[in-house]
Amino acid sequence: MSSFKDWALQYVLSDDETAQSEIAKKAAKEIENTRASSASVGSWAASIQPWITITKQDDDQSDDDDDDSGTGDIIARAKALGFLADTLEALDKSLLRPEQVIRLVGFFGAMFSYDHKAGITASAKALRQLHAMKGFKPAVGVKMIEDVCKLKEDFKLQTAATRFEIYELFLSLIQDQSVNNELQDKYGTSSGFIVEILQLCQNERDPRNLMLWFKLLPIFLTEYSTSDEVTEEIFKAFSAYFPITLRNSASPIGITADDLKNAVRACFASHYKVAKLAFPFLIGKLDQGDAVTVSVKLDILKTIKACIEQYDNPQTSIVPHINKIWNSLKYEVRNGEVKETIDATLDVLRAIANRLDGTSTQKFDVSLLKNYIDTVVDDCRDDLANPTYTKQAGLLLMTVITTNIRAYTLESAAFVDIIRKNLRLPKSPSHTKDLLLLLNSTLKSRADLFKNRKQGHPEDEEAFKTEPSDHLVALYHDVYLPIWTGKSEETTPEVLKQVVQGLASLATQQTLRPDGQISLLVSRSVCSEICSLLTHTLTKGLALSQNDNSTDAAVEDEAVLALQAVVATYTDGYAELVERAKAEIEKRDWTSPTKYTLNALRDILSRLAFIGCSRIPLNVALDGESPKTFKPLQHFLKLATTLHDLFPLSPLPTSEKESLANSYIISALHGGILHFRDACFEKFEPKVLEAYSGSDRNWLEEFKGLSKDWLHQLQREDGSSEVVIEEDDPEVYREFLRICLFIVRHLYREAAYGKQAPWSERVFAQAANLAALVVRSLDENLQKSCNLAQNAFNFFSPENLSPSGPSSIAPFRKLLILGILQGLRPAAMAELYAPQGIAETFICDTSRMATVLLAVGEIRGTICAVLANKYKGGQSTFDPESETMKRVLNFWGEQIKTATTTDDTDPAIFEVYNTVAMHTLAGACARQDKNVLALVPILHEAIASPGPNGAIVARTIGGLVKTNELLSPENHAVVKRFYKQWAYTHFAKPLYDLALPTGDEDTAFAAGRYTTAILSLVSNCPFEVYQEDLSHLVRLLITALNNSSVSGDITQPQVATSLEVLVEILANEPEALKGHLKAIITAGMKTYEEAAKNTSKGNVARALAAVRKLTLQLLGAIPKKFEERHLLAYALPMQRMLATASGDKSREARKVALLARENWAKVV
Amino acid sequence: MAKSDLDNANPTVLSVSQLPSRNLAKGHVRKGPDSKYDHILFPKQWWAGSSLNTDPSVWTSDEDEDDDLTLATEEPIDEQEIYDLLSTISDPEHPVTLGQIAVVRLDDIHLSPSPAERLDPNTLTNVEVDLTPTVNHCSLATVIGLAVRVRLENALPPNYRIIVRMKDGSHAQDDQVNKQLGDKERVAAALENDTLKGIIEKMLETCV
Repeated sequence: MSSFKDWALQYVLSDDETAQSEIAKKAAKEIENTRASSASVGSWAASIQPWITITKQDDDQSDDDDDDSGTGDIIARAKALGFLADTLEALDKSLLRPEQVIRLVGFFGAMFSYDHKAGITASAKALRQLHAMKGFKPAVGVKMIEDVCKLKEDFKLQTAATRFEIYELFLSLIQDQSVNNELQDKYGTSSGFIVEILQLCQNERDPRNLMLWFKLLPIFLTEYSTSDEVTEEIFKAFSAYFPITLRNSASPIGITADDLKNAVRACFASHYKVAKLAFPFLIGKLDQGDAVTVSVKLDILKTIKACIEQYDNPQTSIVPHINKIWNSLKYEVRNGEVKETIDATLDVLRAIANRLDGTSTQKFDVSLLKNYIDTVVDDCRDDLANPTYTKQAGLLLMTVITTNIRAYTLESAAFVDIIRKNLRLPKSPSHTKDLLLLLNSTLKSRADLFKNRKQGHPEDEEAFKTEPSDHLVALYHDVYLPIWTGKSEETTPEVLKQVVQGLASLATQQTLRPDGQISLLVSRSVCSEICSLLTHTLTKGLALSQNDNSTDAAVEDEAVLALQAVVATYTDGYAELVERAKAEIEKRDWTSPTKYTLNALRDILSRLAFIGCSRIPLNVALDGESPKTFKPLQHFLKLATTLHDLFPLSPLPTSEKESLANSYIISALHGGILHFRDACFEKFEPKVLEAYSGSDRNWLEEFKGLSKDWLHQLQREDGSSEVVIEEDDPEVYREFLRICLFIVRHLYREAAYGKQAPWSERVFAQAANLAALVVRSLDENLQKSCNLAQNAFNFFSPENLSPSGPSSIAPFRKLLILGILQGLRPAAMAELYAPQGIAETFICDTSRMATVLLAVGEIRGTICAVLANKYKGGQSTFDPESETMKRVLNFWGEQIKTATTTDDTDPAIFEVYNTVAMHTLAGACARQDKNVLALVPILHEAIASPGPNGAIVARTIGGLVKTNELLSPENHAVVKRFYKQWAYTHFAKPLYDLALPTGDEDTAFAAGRYTTAILSLVSNCPFEVYQEDLSHLVRLLITALNNSSVSGDITQPQVATSLEVLVEILANEPEALKGHLKAIITAGMKTYEEAAKNTSKGNVARALAAVRKLTLQLLGAIPKKFEERHLLAYALPMQRMLATASGDKSREARKVALLARENWAKVV
Repeated sequence: MAKSDLDNANPTVLSVSQLPSRNLAKGHVRKGPDSKYDHILFPKQWWAGSSLNTDPSVWTSDEDEDDDLTLATEEPIDEQEIYDLLSTISDPEHPVTLGQIAVVRLDDIHLSPSPAERLDPNTLTNVEVDLTPTVNHCSLATVIGLAVRVRLENALPPNYRIIVRMKDGSHAQDDQVNKQLGDKERVAAALENDTLKGIIEKMLETCV
């Protein structure tokens, strides 16, 4: 048994916590081994005897002579007691017998009476362990509390950590139901122990302890029945801390001011028996006026709200205080300026209304709520007539009235009536605006209440069935219409915007019929009138001339949003709108419209698309009518068929400008598709839609059996023959895609085989963009099963009708091919790559190339790029030998070779050849096709070849790495991450050595060409790609600039390119230019002067302006990157030059010059 | 500076959108709710892809919306441009710009010869700017005038002669102020003064 003594000694001597707990565990084990025999427990307790005994003498001494000689022993004693506490912690909690627990409690409890210096921490800890023992008896708990309270004044002198232990002990005891009973038994309502604890713990300041203290106090209130006096004492204990703040401390403690605030707030809200103390206290704090800061105010308001929400028995706890709260709070809104406090105040008012209404299971008597609202209405009514307070008073009223459905049904009619009366005699336009805003907000809140009607008490939903609504229905004729039609100077756009918003809100209000069916609140005729009013606003632009149309754009935009909302519920409205707009459009002659009319057309069409398609319509019946079959796609169909009927507006355009009207029709259709797609994505999860974006059926086959007018049929029918789609069914997305594909097919056939005249390049391009969107949205299976790849080339006419029309238009028709191909996934195109298949034939077709425009060559080339990019060869593909792409690339390699080694090919024609070739290569490059490498030597030789065709290759080789929207993941292209690096390494790197001037005439020519080629490539690569070759590159750039500025030939594309690259290098790694500053500055200044002198017009002027701007950009950025000492020598001439440059012909260039001037002005 | 020390503690402030601007005049920029997809529906470049050719005539796009073209158009310095240079200068008293408190007004900026008559960009041109102080005893009129002068001298090419004045009758001592602003020696001397220079630099900080 002597081992306990040894352990105690070891423990006392040790300073290491882990070692100490190991020792305690050993002791605990020993006690457990003896099954807590009296002997072992006794000797364990006695093991600390040496320290305790000395203590007593020490204490006596120190009491007498009041010195600190016992300090060392205090520490040892504390440790000795700690040994016992730790052992208890490690001990099996079921082991000690009740009498042992009592004895130990007696021992540790005694410490609170006479060992205030050393014994408290360990004793508190030990007591807490003992409380957790199985042998613990509730009566012992009472004794513990009494013992601890004997600390009295000395509690304050304990360290924060010690106090923490005591709080923990209290908390565990007070929360224990059996101890609770025992305490109630012993003390009754006088709760003497609470008073003692309150006295003990007052003045606590440590945040961590406060958190526990604030946890303890509510328990007294909720778990113990206390007398009024005690309740008040408890209230004082926490209210003394309000409002609580926390000083910033250097060492974070993990507790924030907000934690403390919330803890205090929880005390206030813990029990309704403090209500009569809490409300006057909080209101008193609030009424201190300016002395209260915003954050304190917020704290008060949030606390009041918490009390209101959490107190039980609102009739007795809250109702008596309502008037006082209201009288104080109303000024916070009426005269308040800070948004946060206003919001918090309104939250309180709302909380009151909600509490007075009852809960979702039990409603209180209606008089409670009614009295409250009446108070509010009485106080605010008159303020509505006063423009200064209209907004605030209205806000108060509206907040209270629209808090819940019951409040709304009780008082909304009266409220609306007051607003209406005031609107008849408004004091100013802004008064009208404020009143309308209130009215609109009320309507909006009603809509929200309606939407959430099922969340509350069942009575709430019933209330809507019998809700009086005449006052709302009358708003249209009584309020909105008179303001709208009586437009005067006074009616500001702001007011009109409010009217428009109000109309939308009114027309979309829903209500419950007695049979439970949802229907619109206002009648069909009112809905229709509202629609036509708004429609007129939009179509007016088309009917009037520019000078007569005075409608504010903001009002028009508001009308668009309003109609969008209205037609989602009043679905017939959209057809009316579209028909009206169609009639207006058809009235006009579109052969040579003015710009204004064209813009008006674009606006109205784009708005039609937005209004009808940006939301999926809702299934709401009309007031008094039986529900119709619901068609979620009806607006989209209406738009599509109407646009179909309108096309072409300009049947025989003679220029791109005249065909604009036609192109706007297609873009409206495109817009409709984009908006509807968005609406689907908003309503359904993307994952869900993914599952609905395909089908294993061949839709195109199915379309064959349908008439051309299928969409019209769909639109006219009540959906009887079609799949019936419910409001929330994602099937709508699949059906939408199916219709879209039908539209694409129809458009393509029209464009390819119908009348050709309306189709210009722009219109083709619009149709192709539309097709690309639709095709992109389909999943791979559907792209395959519909065989879209083939259809791209025969324009959805497998019968292979020959496309009609003059050949001058036909080339632009190729855009249609591009439209489909750009949206296809590589796997859906596999079939095209069979040897001698469509892809190969298309790419290698040079039959008509000699006669086409370069622009057409670009289109052809771009298609080739897509084809070359999405190629996949190898086993189990259509090109098992992987030969197709190799042949195609070799073919173009040969073409380039022939054209640059012989003089047979005219440069103008070669330009087209080269365009197609480069694009094809670029497509393959992005995929890092190894076959491309075979062309490296051919291209390098071509660049250096003496003829003009070599120059073309050199100038355009950058196209291989040029960023191309079509070669992007969105377009399902195959783009390797480092393909630019790869292409640069193979095409540009080997040229650096050859491009350096050697002074030799023969190589100088080739070197110039190589420089052009390098610049072309580099300017299309990101900086990182050519970063490691900077030293070579910078020399090349400077030489290029110098050469051209000396020869005066600065319109060469490489000048602009060099400047661009230099700007890029300067931004990323200025160090590389440091050694060349003089050369760069001289060349830059010379270039600018040359460019400024040149007075050419047209495209040359454009190139010159670009050069001037870039030069100024480059020179202007230099001072930001280098220290002044490097620049001083150039400052004066530079400042002179820039002063002149700030009078540049081009405004853009002047702006850059101004910046440059500012930068150089700092160099002195 | 305490509120009571200000010459005009509460000037009328215009919002930035109310100021004359070149973009407003330029025409229709759609910004309604339906314009979300304008960049797709009315693209500058009709069809996607990238041209190999730097010659822009090959690449079809709308003429009036082309950035390159605005770059190449010859647009002589006009009154609006001078206004844009000046309207962003900060007021020395308030955290607003001279444009916002209408000290600088587009109508009070005159160029002679006018931009239309000026065929050769190197013609000697007079820029006359009349300033309107917010109150007629404004003690900072000279400072504002000086800042305007400095801004124009830093921004305009050497062939522009700058005349900055108080508008007739807008200031109690406009003669004296005008004399001071018109005298090169006095302007140069004023700029030697570090305090004054500091104030003016501060005013010009907000210029873009």
